[in-house]
Formats: sequence, structure tokens, C-alpha cells
Amino acid sequence: MEILREFERIDLPGPRPRVGVELMAGRWTKTNDKTQWIGGLDVRVDGDDLLVRVAGGGAGPSPADWGIVRTTTVYAGWLTSGDATAGAFVAKYALPDADVELQANLNLGLLVVATYVRFREPGPYANRFTREFFRRDV
Amino acid sequence: MSVVEAALDLSVIVGDWRNTNPAAGIDRIVCEAGDDGLTIHCSSGVRDWGKVAAGVFAFEFDSGQAGAFSAVYDLGFEEVRVQANVKQGVLVVVTLNAFKDGSGRSNYFNREFFYRS
Repeated sequence: MEILREFERIDLPGPRPRVGVELMAGRWTKTNDKTQWIGGLDVRVDGDDLLVRVAGGGAGPSPADWGIVRTTTVYAGWLTSGDATAGAFVAKYALPDADVELQANLNLGLLVVATYVRFREPGPYANRFTREFFRRDV
Repeated sequence: MSVVEAALDLSVIVGDWRNTNPAAGIDRIVCEAGDDGLTIHCSSGVRDWGKVAAGVFAFEFDSGQAGAFSAVYDLGFEEVRVQANVKQGVLVVVTLNAFKDGSGRSNYFNREFFYRS
């Protein structure tokens, strides 16, 4: 068995368990009253994946509606089960001027969303990292 | 490295970073600036992951200072997305780990913290 870290040396027979993506689904609203990069997310289950819709938060060149994309990968909270209580997902957006890798993870009931914004052409904006927090809209 | 990335100052990121938790997964990350931009070199107690190129990112759209990076290791049996940012002098590193070897190990999310040595 190949490993990158000692704790990966666990003999678990395949196939790997399904990641419980349902825990990450829902409507998520920003916790900060101020303008920010992302205003909210609508995350829905589609089979073993998630469909993610992002609403812009009004800051910088963030479109009002980023559209819907399918997650590229979903992650459990640890390698021994599919429990997504501390899980995560990655989704990729092609916005009008920039490519964005969005990474979200559950932490104590909040959805912590990081984005890596890479502009295709030189312009007024620097490539940017954002990290913002969202609560479940109940 | 894109023209946009070339404009960013890498001094906050460049360095030899050691894990704050000796029992954690990645022992050390060496971040170096070169002609082709930033490279990172991760290693654990069981494997040298090698060097890969990393994209760099500012914290603000009008900033010239890089504070975050993102890189991908594809080791064949496992793909690891390494995403990190410097916060109050600490390198906060998220890894998104996806196994491709047919084992029963789940893809998993992990976060670790590093200090500059």
C-alpha cells in the first residue's frame, strides 16, 4: 500500500464508502453583514456529487450569479469513513474574466468557503484568495 | 506563471515551514521563489513528495503582496490539492486528498499549521 503520511497506512478493503454529501447541502448565507466576495450558496445533492450555485456578494468583480456547477470532488472528514460532518468539496468556475477554484468545508456547522481567483489577463485586479463563512439558512 | 502572478511579492510565503504538530501528516514545506514563480516542496516522515509549482494569490484585489498559494500533487495513487495561506505568521495548510488506487480509503479533508523555522 502506498502512502504519503503514516496515518494513511490503513488496510481498508474497497470499494471506498460513499461520502455523505447530504450534510453539505442546503442554502448557505454569509455571516458577515458587510459586502463580500460571495453572498450565498445553494448546494444540492445530485447522486454522489453536489450541484453548487453561488450568488455574488457585491465585492470586486463578483458576478451576481455565478451559475451552477457540479463538484469536481467531494471529501469526507477522514479517510476511514464517508462521514462528511467535517467534509469538504471542490468546484471550479469559469467567470467572465477569471477562473475560480472554490473549496468549501464544514466546520462546527459553518460552511467555510475559500476561493482562489485567477484572472486570465492582466488588469486592475490581483489574483486573489478569499475565505468567508456561511451559516445554514433555516 | 502568469503575468498577473508575476506582479505579486512572495516574501510572506517564501521560507522553510515546519509543522506545529509532530504527529501530523506533513512534516515540512519549503517554499521557494524562482524565475518560474513559486515552488513548494512537501515531505512527511515516510515520503518526500517532491517539488511542484504553485499559483500565488493576494488577500485583496488591489494588493501586491501574495499571502496564499495553491498547488496539486499527483502521485499516481493519490492526488493532493495543497491550499495554504499565511495568517498572523502561521501557514495554514488545507489538503484535499483523493485516492485513485482502488483502496477503501476515503477521500479526505485535512488542515495543518506550520511555523517558519
